[in-house]
Amino acid sequence: MNLPILSLLVAVPLVGGIAVLFTGRERPAAARWLALLMSLVTFAVSLVMWAGFDATSAEYQLVERHAWLPEFGISYHLGIDGISLLLVVLTTFLTPIALLCSWESVESRVREFSFFMLALEAAMIGVFISLDLFLFYIFWDAMLIPMYFLIGIWGYDRRIYASIKFLLYTMAGSVLMLIAIIWLAYYHQSVTGVPSFDLLDLERVGLDPGRTQTYLFLAFAVAFAIKVPLFPFHTWLPDAHVEAPTAGSVILAGVLLKMGTYGLLRFAFPLFPDAAREFAPYIAVLAVVGVVYGALVAMVQPDMKKLVAYSSVSHLGIVVLGLCALNVNGIQGAVYQMLAHGISTGGLFLIVGMLSDRRHTRQIAEFGGLKAVMPKLVAAFLLITLASVALPGTNGFIGEFLILLGAFNGQFANAPYITAIAATGVILSAVYMLWMFQRVNYGPVTNAKNRGLRDLSVREWIVIGPVCAMAIFMGVLPNVFLTPMGPAVRRTVEMIVPSNRPANTDAVPLPAPDAGAGASGSAAAAAPPAAIAQGGR
Amino acid sequence: MVTRADFVTIIPILIVVLSGCAVLLAESLKRANDRPWHELLALIGLAGAIWTSLAQWGNDGLGFGVILTDKYALFFNIMLCGIGILTTLLSIGAADRDRIPSGEYYALMLFSISGMMMMGSTRDLLVIFVALEIMSLGVYVMTAIKRGSEAGVEGGFKYFVLGAFSSAFFLYGIALAYAATGTTKLDEIGMLVASSAQQPDLVMLLTLSMILLAVGFSFKIGAVPFHMWTPDAYQGAPTLVTGFMSTAVKAAAFAAFARVFLIALEPFRAEWLPMLSVVAGLTMVIGTVVGVTQNSVKRMLAYSSIAHAGYLLLGLLAANQAGKAAILFYLVAYAVTNLGAFGVLAALTTNDRPHDDIRDFAGLWNERPGMAALLTVFLLSLGGFPPTVGFVAKWYIFNAAVQEGLITLAVLGVLTSVVAVFFYLRIVVMMYMTEDHAPGHRPFAPKLAVAGMVLALAAVFYLGVLPGGLLWAALESVASFF
Repeated sequence: MNLPILSLLVAVPLVGGIAVLFTGRERPAAARWLALLMSLVTFAVSLVMWAGFDATSAEYQLVERHAWLPEFGISYHLGIDGISLLLVVLTTFLTPIALLCSWESVESRVREFSFFMLALEAAMIGVFISLDLFLFYIFWDAMLIPMYFLIGIWGYDRRIYASIKFLLYTMAGSVLMLIAIIWLAYYHQSVTGVPSFDLLDLERVGLDPGRTQTYLFLAFAVAFAIKVPLFPFHTWLPDAHVEAPTAGSVILAGVLLKMGTYGLLRFAFPLFPDAAREFAPYIAVLAVVGVVYGALVAMVQPDMKKLVAYSSVSHLGIVVLGLCALNVNGIQGAVYQMLAHGISTGGLFLIVGMLSDRRHTRQIAEFGGLKAVMPKLVAAFLLITLASVALPGTNGFIGEFLILLGAFNGQFANAPYITAIAATGVILSAVYMLWMFQRVNYGPVTNAKNRGLRDLSVREWIVIGPVCAMAIFMGVLPNVFLTPMGPAVRRTVEMIVPSNRPANTDAVPLPAPDAGAGASGSAAAAAPPAAIAQGGR
Repeated sequence: MVTRADFVTIIPILIVVLSGCAVLLAESLKRANDRPWHELLALIGLAGAIWTSLAQWGNDGLGFGVILTDKYALFFNIMLCGIGILTTLLSIGAADRDRIPSGEYYALMLFSISGMMMMGSTRDLLVIFVALEIMSLGVYVMTAIKRGSEAGVEGGFKYFVLGAFSSAFFLYGIALAYAATGTTKLDEIGMLVASSAQQPDLVMLLTLSMILLAVGFSFKIGAVPFHMWTPDAYQGAPTLVTGFMSTAVKAAAFAAFARVFLIALEPFRAEWLPMLSVVAGLTMVIGTVVGVTQNSVKRMLAYSSIAHAGYLLLGLLAANQAGKAAILFYLVAYAVTNLGAFGVLAALTTNDRPHDDIRDFAGLWNERPGMAALLTVFLLSLGGFPPTVGFVAKWYIFNAAVQEGLITLAVLGVLTSVVAVFFYLRIVVMMYMTEDHAPGHRPFAPKLAVAGMVLALAAVFYLGVLPGGLLWAALESVASFF
């Protein structure tokens, strides 16, 4: 089978998006259906990709490599490992859902909306499958434009401010990374004689520890930290989330933020392992500050969407903490949590979007007692809320458990204490999520406007159903996802913390899943009591 | 003894001059109420010049002792004639609508292009000066060609007075260089400079000459602190003239700038590097920061062109193969992008709604989605977003700078480019995210003008995705003589 599957994954949405632009202006339905069809085809292609993926190998697979600008060492180099595989599937899974959720709420300019959504999908997939830093940067930067338009045109009241802030913030971080990328390519030339932007070449060359590595690491890390967003670079996120249309929020929370953590894991840490080990403790502290800060700020939000946005800051903090553990458990948990957060926070934004479509407000105080009015919607809401607070048996639990486990043995000073503080964030997340849920759904119906709200329509079932199913599926059968990522995670850890180094403390004994792929479904399923003790619930 | 080989070298320039004469003849021989096809004559001449330049690719020749046909010269010939063709296509319709006398307009454009071509192809400082004046005179008049427009006359006058002033600097620089070395040939100056490094009085003269030449060029490319004329001239000139002078004049000036500083004054690099570094840094910062505060789109694009001159200077400062080639690539990228943008502006201009104030763009998306999309792509390319040519050009410039260790300037460059994105986006916000305050009739662009814009659009994307061919040509061109 010689189909260029990865190229197809970028080409199908891109070509689809351009095709959508040529549908008639008077027939928005045609644009909607064509876009949905193209995104479903992309999803199907991504499943074909998964079927052709060898889960036992740590190598990059389905590799496509063509010379592009050979004199500069730039090639069209695509490939996936277990980590990017899952993130691509997450992207292709969420895009049709996001398109479907805006079926009725986006009425104007459907063509352009669908085009930007598909272009965004193509660019996001491109980010996850690029193995050439030049190519990666192109997708990384190009992705900003469709998102900018999605927020700026179809967003809420302060959309212009939010969209420009989003774009400039992200760009300011990434241009420094561009300089660092160029520097790396010439470093490669000074060592080997030829410049190269290829990730694998650059990993092989390796930098000496020292100030240069630190600067380069920081240039990369800041670009990714802004995207994550890591405290204190998070201020663009609440604005962008709150002002974005529902579909934009779903993609933003579901996929875009993961590009930051993915970048740290794929580029910043392995390319600069010495600097990564040096800075991991500080990043971990920032991550934990973000966990607690995000949770506390979320608690006092009167606006549901803003609450969910700040919960993202908190949850992504936990993901970064897992990455900074620099061990297999932590990183595997972090990748799992990226997927889980994509599903559950995407789901939360969908629910908030449905409520906002019905009432045109997102204020918690405007709601109350919805359980009696819309039992089905509230049931879905409950399930996703529980997934978001990481109840065992849902997707959130596996990731957070592994992260805390990994961070407890992490490669930084005072790891147990930092982990303990992070665990309080997990408790706080239960507080703000459940409190919000309670205020919105329980009690008497205080606001007369809420009495006549209709329950889930068939379309909304189709939107929220797969998300709910996924939340449970990932909680019950984590192996489906942990197995393919295992080898890639171990390879990455090996690059950052070579095992011949004494610093590797993966083997600290704990009555918990053994390091590595053993942290799989059966082991995790056998460990709930320990996890409950750790998670504080 | 003048031979046939001498004339071969100037054929492209000659064709452009002759087509300019043909335009003038057609204008003077026309009957009343007749509208000769000046555009066609211009297009034929420019295409002929491109064709003859391509035919000479690879045969380095020297005519009359001063005109070179190395690949560098031919690259600029082709680029400048390409700019001329694009400007002509975009001017169709707009020139008549704005009551611009088309005979004079195209003739001046062609004469000024012939001067520009000479600037890129000569090895003699005096010829550079003559060519500079030929180029400038045409552009001064074009700036003020709308006789009824006060802003046009003011801009043209400012441009002329300051331009004459800078020419004096330039000429004085040439004189000092001649005094020090006894020649005006660039390569001979370069050799003498290299061997005269021990003589303090000569070094003194040459340093002074270098400073004066740098002032003259800085004025032409609009580098800070000699940028003052740019906003006024850009705003006052008819839109397409602005597009033409922001791209062609800059290209020609850089062609000569690079030749003079990288051949004749190359041994002096240690002296001019710090000076031009400061100029480049200031140019990038002032161009972008002041650009943010502009509400006139043409002034905004004027400051953007100042900033772009700063990025181009970065390539000159790097002075390595990549840097020299990056200048050529960047000039092409900037030309197609900026001409496209000005083409859209010109097509939208009407007397009651000149589309100069940024608020005039409100709601353009609803009324003319195609125009809004085109302008958006051009603005994103100016901002350096992939997958447009603007990104590749910026990357290539910064590539050269980083390679040469100019990290601080490169960092300054990327950061100011983020600031620049802010003001490009202000136009996008107006077009897409703001309701029209006074919906008015916006004209449809003539078909050939649309063809010009689509051509520019195709170049923006094609060179953004597959820049290999042009990068190769740029590298070949600079390899031919540096």
